[in-house]
Amino acid sequence: MSQDLEQSFVKQLKENQNIIHKICRLYTSGEDAHKDLFQEITIQLWKAYPKFRGDSKFSTWAYRVALNTAITLYRKSTRSIQTSNFDTANVFIKQEEYNYEEEEQIKLMYQAVYQLNDIEKALVFMYLEDKDYEEISETLGISQVNARVKMNRIKTKLKKILNP
Amino acid sequence: MEELDILKKAWKKEESSFEQVSEKQIYTMLHQKSSSIVKWILIISILEFVFWNVIAFGMNDEKYQAKLEAYGIAQFMLIINVINYAVIVGFIYVFYKNYRAISTLDSTNTLMTSIVKTRKTVQNYIWYNLIIIAVTIVISIVMMFSHSPEMISMMEKQVHDGHKTLFMFICIGVSTLFIAGIIGLFWLFYRLLYGILLKKLFANYKELKKIEL
Repeated sequence: MSQDLEQSFVKQLKENQNIIHKICRLYTSGEDAHKDLFQEITIQLWKAYPKFRGDSKFSTWAYRVALNTAITLYRKSTRSIQTSNFDTANVFIKQEEYNYEEEEQIKLMYQAVYQLNDIEKALVFMYLEDKDYEEISETLGISQVNARVKMNRIKTKLKKILNP
Repeated sequence: MEELDILKKAWKKEESSFEQVSEKQIYTMLHQKSSSIVKWILIISILEFVFWNVIAFGMNDEKYQAKLEAYGIAQFMLIINVINYAVIVGFIYVFYKNYRAISTLDSTNTLMTSIVKTRKTVQNYIWYNLIIIAVTIVISIVMMFSHSPEMISMMEKQVHDGHKTLFMFICIGVSTLFIAGIIGLFWLFYRLLYGILLKKLFANYKELKKIEL
């Protein structure tokens, strides 16, 4: 592939890298796993890049490839040690100044989201990203009605996890 | 929902806190090898095609040909071989077509369906091979009984002693067990191989299908 293509890809990816970071945030715990998934998504984006025509935004296009990689293609590397410990996931994120009560609540929320399965996480991810049901349904390949029903179920599920 | 909206607020704030990856790091990543399951399915599938063809080729030496001649099934086996190769070429074509259809730009549902379809082609190919092997073994055994001089004399002895039914029964039993054993072993091997590889994919696939119910 030509160098120009590589250059423009790297530039756009760098600008939009937070999309990938956010997906890694939900699908992995620990710095190694985060980096591992980040790399796999980057490779998959690069592979799909020749098909990116520029008639949609890079970010919109990247959402789909990145989510598909996390849900479908990615095999958890044996190198990274799987841990459900939230604190290790937090290491990779620079600490922000939250007030303690809110911080605790957010911590618990993340812990609850980690207990969801990959598909449910995808719906939560798109909800957090303010995507409408049309885009959610197109990305996952399910009907809008079913996406809505599932989202409501996830909310109930999260409530149950948080208030057992 | 209140809780999820609190998370949404934090989510937006977190956006600026990810450790940024540099252009240089991205360049390095582009030249790393992918470890996606599609790549593994491709590698394993090619190895499978090669494996079965090596087996077929390895069996086909002069001694084997001479035996086929002696049993009077050389012509029959030749026809089987020609059909076999046509079928293999067909399988490779379908496999390649399915593989090409896998695209990360499709919806998750479509993507998973194409991966499962690709996998199914290889699985059918394996079943086809196992059936061919079973048929070949059965024909060889039958032909051995009717053409091999040692077998014929052994058979005559058994008939003479009045053990014909028992002898036939044991022969069929042993052959069936033998064939079942081979197929069982392969089945187990593939279950393990693809079970490990596709465990996550199948779990997510089922989950997605459940939503559509």
